Amino acid sequence: MSTSSSNVKTQIINEVRQAAAIQNARHLIEKINEHCFERCIPKPGTSLSKGEDACITSCMEKYMSAWNTVSRQYVARIQKEAGSRGAEL
Amino acid sequence: MDALSNINLNAADLQSLPDRDKAELQQFLKNETQKSTIQQAIHSLTDVCFRKCITGKISSGTLDKTEEPCMRNCVDRFMDANNSILKQLESMRTG
Repeated sequence: MSTSSSNVKTQIINEVRQAAAIQNARHLIEKINEHCFERCIPKPGTSLSKGEDACITSCMEKYMSAWNTVSRQYVARIQKEAGSRGAEL
Repeated sequence: MDALSNINLNAADLQSLPDRDKAELQQFLKNETQKSTIQQAIHSLTDVCFRKCITGKISSGTLDKTEEPCMRNCVDRFMDANNSILKQLESMRTG
């Protein structure tokens, strides 16, 4: 009985983690598509040119670097603010 | 999180969990919700700041030496602006 309840718990935890990871990835991909299409394909032609394709590859990597930079900066900032709020109280 | 509705579990399984597991799950979900809120904020900040900071021709996959500090400043100034607005609103409420 205790093994089955811990299985239910583990199952929930794993599925929630997976759902969150998928949602996060989906959101990132949507934003990359939006930005990189706008930046790299200003005038859509009959096919994707070599230059456009190269731009999309760079843009994707750049957007991910930007996401990581924002992530580090934002987390550091909210941690600092949480710390100073704690000191005021 | 609408993706949660995909999880197949019946209510009886949840109900029969020992209290300790229920408490642990509650804490876990609280943490995951917080993590998700932070990630949403990162997505929206990246969106806003990428538009402001990456204005040149995109020719490399890394952030160059003006883009990187611009992204960091953008995050901090956005937060400053946010705090300033909250402060203004607070003074309107009390004043």
